[in-house]
Amino acid sequence: MLLYFLITCFSFILFIKPLKPLPPWANEMRLLSLWFWKDLSFFSIPELIKNSLSSSYLSLLPFKMSLIKKSLSSKVENFEETGEMSVLDLPELALECILERLPPAALCSTAGVCSSLRERCKSDHLWEKHMNQKWDRIIGPAAYREWQNYLALKTDSNYVKHGKQKGLMRLLALTWPFSWFKPKVDDTSRRRNSLPVDSIMSWYLALETGKVWFPAQVYNRENGHVGFMLSCYDAEVSYDSRTDTFQARYPPHGRRPIAIENGVPWERLRAPPVDTPPHDLHISDCLSELRPGDHIEIQWRRNKEFPYGWWYGIVGHMESCDGNENYCRCHDSDTVVLEFNQYTPGSQWRRATVDRKDHREEGNEADGFYGGIRKLKDEVEISTWKRLWPTEVLE
Amino acid sequence: MSSSKSNKIVKLESSDNKTFEVEEAVAVQSETLKNMVDDGCANDTIPLPNVNGKILEMVLGWCKKHVDETVTGDELNKYEADFLDLDQADLYGLLMAANFLNVKGLLDRVLQRVADMIKGKKPEEIRRIFNIKNDFTPEEEEEIRLENAWAFD
Repeated sequence: MLLYFLITCFSFILFIKPLKPLPPWANEMRLLSLWFWKDLSFFSIPELIKNSLSSSYLSLLPFKMSLIKKSLSSKVENFEETGEMSVLDLPELALECILERLPPAALCSTAGVCSSLRERCKSDHLWEKHMNQKWDRIIGPAAYREWQNYLALKTDSNYVKHGKQKGLMRLLALTWPFSWFKPKVDDTSRRRNSLPVDSIMSWYLALETGKVWFPAQVYNRENGHVGFMLSCYDAEVSYDSRTDTFQARYPPHGRRPIAIENGVPWERLRAPPVDTPPHDLHISDCLSELRPGDHIEIQWRRNKEFPYGWWYGIVGHMESCDGNENYCRCHDSDTVVLEFNQYTPGSQWRRATVDRKDHREEGNEADGFYGGIRKLKDEVEISTWKRLWPTEVLE
Repeated sequence: MSSSKSNKIVKLESSDNKTFEVEEAVAVQSETLKNMVDDGCANDTIPLPNVNGKILEMVLGWCKKHVDETVTGDELNKYEADFLDLDQADLYGLLMAANFLNVKGLLDRVLQRVADMIKGKKPEEIRRIFNIKNDFTPEEEEEIRLENAWAFD
């Protein structure tokens, strides 16, 4: 009789949540919890029944491993005694909806309330939304790779510390998959409420607290230094939540020491648009289609030891062309004219030409070296450059 | 906008056997009840075993207010704000009822209210307000404290 009752309960629980792990707070619900049944089974069910049911237990293995200490000894009467409903008893969907409405700070705070809420608040999909809203524009693949590297270094040092214990546990889990073996909860419980290192929440917090530096590009670096106007340079940046600005570290320029800039606002930052490291030449793939009037960015560096910066320019007309649309054949010529109209006419920086067919890197010690070109198609990118246009013409 | 042509009355019975009679236009603010009306199942008294009389009365009051054309926008806002000035037990009961009866506007408001009660609070404060037990170990507490340091500087 008891067996029949337990089997129906058990299959009922399997039915309602077949694939998801049973939430830890389920034990407070009126349903007989799995763990209550498990407790009973320790003391009253014969070996035979245990074995026959072990196959159905297999499906629970994934979340057995995430059981919490509390559940093992929880009493079902808990809920009945208090009789009062708490926010933890709300339907899952309702709780989800509430958590979705929380700003990051509140979500982080709620993750510190109790372990069942922590489980929910750690969820990637909640934090993905916040990541996208705040960091989307300046975090790119390069920043993500940096984060993965940072994690790899961190986990390596952790494994060195706990490697021994983890290995033992893994071995035991393999040899007794259906066992009633109570895992040594010390190690698991200590880590159970830690943030999984690769969660989006931990990344968000690391960015927000400025704990990690990540690669980005800074427009008009060094507070609009005249030598860098309308350029965008790679830098390692880190966020300062107090001022809502960034600190930027620029790689060394020859003998110039590493430059650091504080208080860089969001508007002057972007994620690197192409995956080319600053010392590498970008291979231009747009040369054949460049026409007068196109907006471009070109790599430029003073000499071969320095990193490239990206400089904004416009494709111009050949000297021989009068600019008349109907007769302009500039797009057919072998030479592409680039204009940097932020400089005065007559300035050496105002105009440059590149070979349409073979351009890789051209230049000399006097004029610097012009590298890869990318054509700007996005209106937002173009208007950002225009917004940063210097108020005075440059020499 | 013309109100419902039929003066049909919908009868509802709460879990504690209280009956309520409301106009169809009021009842159909609840998607659940609207479906029943549309399917022709609303001719007899509809039993609502998940909702007690007190909560059902509140929900119906909300629905009535939202159907009433004489109520201005400002009045409605004030009504909604005052409406949610409830103790937690009632708030949860209301949430469950609004969820079950699928009264979107009300559900939205209640969810937002609970979220607002959480915003700007530290974990201990949240525990106090919602009467939740702290089940972390001291090491976990320390980790959590560090996590939250950025938010409450």
